[in-house]
Amino acid sequence: MNLNPLPSTISRNGGCTLTGALAVTTSVRDSITIIHGPDGCSHHNFSLLHATLLDNDCMTVPRVMSSGLGEHEVIFGGEKALLNAIHRAAEEQPGIIFVLSTCITDTIGDDVAGICGHAGVPVSLIPGSGFLGGNFETGFSNALMALSDTIRTSTGPPLPGSREKNGLVNLIGEKNLEYEVEQNFAEIKRLLSLLDMRVHVRFVHKSSVNELGTLPDGSLNIIREPSLTHVGDYLQKLFGIPYVNSFPVGMTGTLLFIGETAKKAGISEEEPVQKERESQQQMLDEFSDLAGKRVSLPLLPGSPGYREICEVMDAAGLMVETGGIDLPVPIPFPVGTAGISRMLHGWRRVLS
Amino acid sequence: MSHCINPLWPCALTGAVSALSGFKGLAVVIHGSSGCYYYPATLLHRDLHSTFLVEQEVVFGTGERLIEVIEAIRPEYQKIAVVNSCVPSVMGEDIKTILEGFDVIVIESPGFMGDFEAGYHAAVRALPVRLHDELPGVNIEGINLIDPFANGNQREAERFLDLMSIDRGGISFCNDVFHNLDNVPGYFLSVNPDLSVGRGKNFGSLLGIEAITSVIRKIADAIESADPGPAEDEIRTVEERLFRASDKYLKRYDPPSVAVFSTYSYCTFAADTLKRYLDADIVYCGSRNPPPPDDLRVKKITSLPEVEGVVCSQSPDLVLGSSFEQSVAKDAAFVGLTPPIRGEVRLLSRPLAGTEGVLGLMEAVLNACMDRKKWHP
Repeated sequence: MNLNPLPSTISRNGGCTLTGALAVTTSVRDSITIIHGPDGCSHHNFSLLHATLLDNDCMTVPRVMSSGLGEHEVIFGGEKALLNAIHRAAEEQPGIIFVLSTCITDTIGDDVAGICGHAGVPVSLIPGSGFLGGNFETGFSNALMALSDTIRTSTGPPLPGSREKNGLVNLIGEKNLEYEVEQNFAEIKRLLSLLDMRVHVRFVHKSSVNELGTLPDGSLNIIREPSLTHVGDYLQKLFGIPYVNSFPVGMTGTLLFIGETAKKAGISEEEPVQKERESQQQMLDEFSDLAGKRVSLPLLPGSPGYREICEVMDAAGLMVETGGIDLPVPIPFPVGTAGISRMLHGWRRVLS
Repeated sequence: MSHCINPLWPCALTGAVSALSGFKGLAVVIHGSSGCYYYPATLLHRDLHSTFLVEQEVVFGTGERLIEVIEAIRPEYQKIAVVNSCVPSVMGEDIKTILEGFDVIVIESPGFMGDFEAGYHAAVRALPVRLHDELPGVNIEGINLIDPFANGNQREAERFLDLMSIDRGGISFCNDVFHNLDNVPGYFLSVNPDLSVGRGKNFGSLLGIEAITSVIRKIADAIESADPGPAEDEIRTVEERLFRASDKYLKRYDPPSVAVFSTYSYCTFAADTLKRYLDADIVYCGSRNPPPPDDLRVKKITSLPEVEGVVCSQSPDLVLGSSFEQSVAKDAAFVGLTPPIRGEVRLLSRPLAGTEGVLGLMEAVLNACMDRKKWHP
């Protein structure tokens, strides 16, 4: 069973679909995730998540249940094992049970959807089979879509008419495993405060099922990055919420972000944009000692972040020359003005 | 098998890859999806290859892709090992026939086959080892690259053999050069009996003072040129230091109650050592791999909630285990014994084997227990 069409440009080494899905599901605080596969799939993934979360000062081990497929289930089918695992998970009365299918269960043809649909408890099924389904990004996106469906089922369709502009913003698809996830969140919060708006639901970052259920109360969604635009489209279709399709990157990009957010929220953009422009100038003044330093461009024209890097170098007065010092560029590109400030600190260390 | 929350131990595929990737000159190809590749690659930090299978290969057969990968890498290696993962394994393709004409080793090690040790043993059994009893030297076995003590154990075993004036002719399973497998002496010395090669004559293990003492005697009996004197002197000195430090601790504090979670051999080593020097109360010994049926002290434990249950019910003063155990250790002192050990900087090659291993374990335990007493008097 293949629940995801195979993109013609699929990357062979884009990571495991399960890891991507788990990056979302394990961030739902009162959930249990069942991986329907051998114990190894569960161990590998929660161990990788544990390593990454420790880097983010999170000492808690994400809770992942394995349906524990062995040779017997591979030969005779694993549906009973899955049903047992679901019933065991339900005993703990979680806010939601996620079931992730795997390579092996899709290959042996277990009717995972059928079992989840008739388990007697609400279950959110996320296609997670690796090479049958895609890569890390696919798993991440599959989980967000499945969770959107679950919310829609519990809240029903949006009421007709235009949405109230209430200043509540949902953040969609934060990269829970990235090292600076909280710093990026803080920067978005700061930028939204310039518009008298605030973050409502983090979809999904350390959220409870009840909190996630209030997602439709938001009047604007901000998507983490353009690769998740289809999730933004889907949420707009389900709940009628418009969206901005990326966190801000680059100096001009940050000003444009404020402008677009203001426009979609029906707020005047002039004053907040001017305020942020002044903040950016103050930030650059702190790095005036970098002006005139000889550097080389660390990216090729056309590559992601190239335009933003050129802009920052130009604004900081750096001289781009052949043989100049190579500067590190964080991947993904830093978020907002605060991100650029941290990047400039890193550059100062290299150049001093 | 039944459901399990947070399974604590890697699968057979990871075990096989860990064993094989220890041999320089041997290419390891994981025949599976990128997910199957990514975890061992992250743990082992070795050059691994993979077929990174995608859907059309699962539908139309994986042979062509496998041959493509092998053709691409074979100029760089003396030999290639293919480790089969879950999906190609159940597809029923005959990998050995597909690869007829290629000089490869094929290891059936899908994750559903079992745990890490099952895969490690399957891989070691498949290695083309040529034993020559007449060759001088002693091989070291039980090196496992995902074990944070692997480097330290190997160095300590080498130091021990030097101390006994044993010829450096043996090889290390599994951290050596592939072509050395052509000339393997007949004697073996273990730093982790759970990962025994199962070949030749085994002198026993270097885990714990009693085991080391026994090994010295056996080597001296079997190898005429061996000199047991320096090793025996070292044992006496080390024991004196251990008893002195432990006595000092016991003058001030009661023996700790201890829960140990690791693989079987590490578990029993740690439990016996703490009993011997600190008269510790071993409240629980939980093994990742199946313990021998006749050892009732040790229970198999596979999931994190089970560990948490033990910690809650026994309230040990000290927990030995991995970062997973540390996450549920609450107020107990913690010492890392089992992979993964995360959240701390580890640069030194610490051993568990040999006299330095015993000293290292006791040093870590005493410091952890005393630190805990300072903060929780």
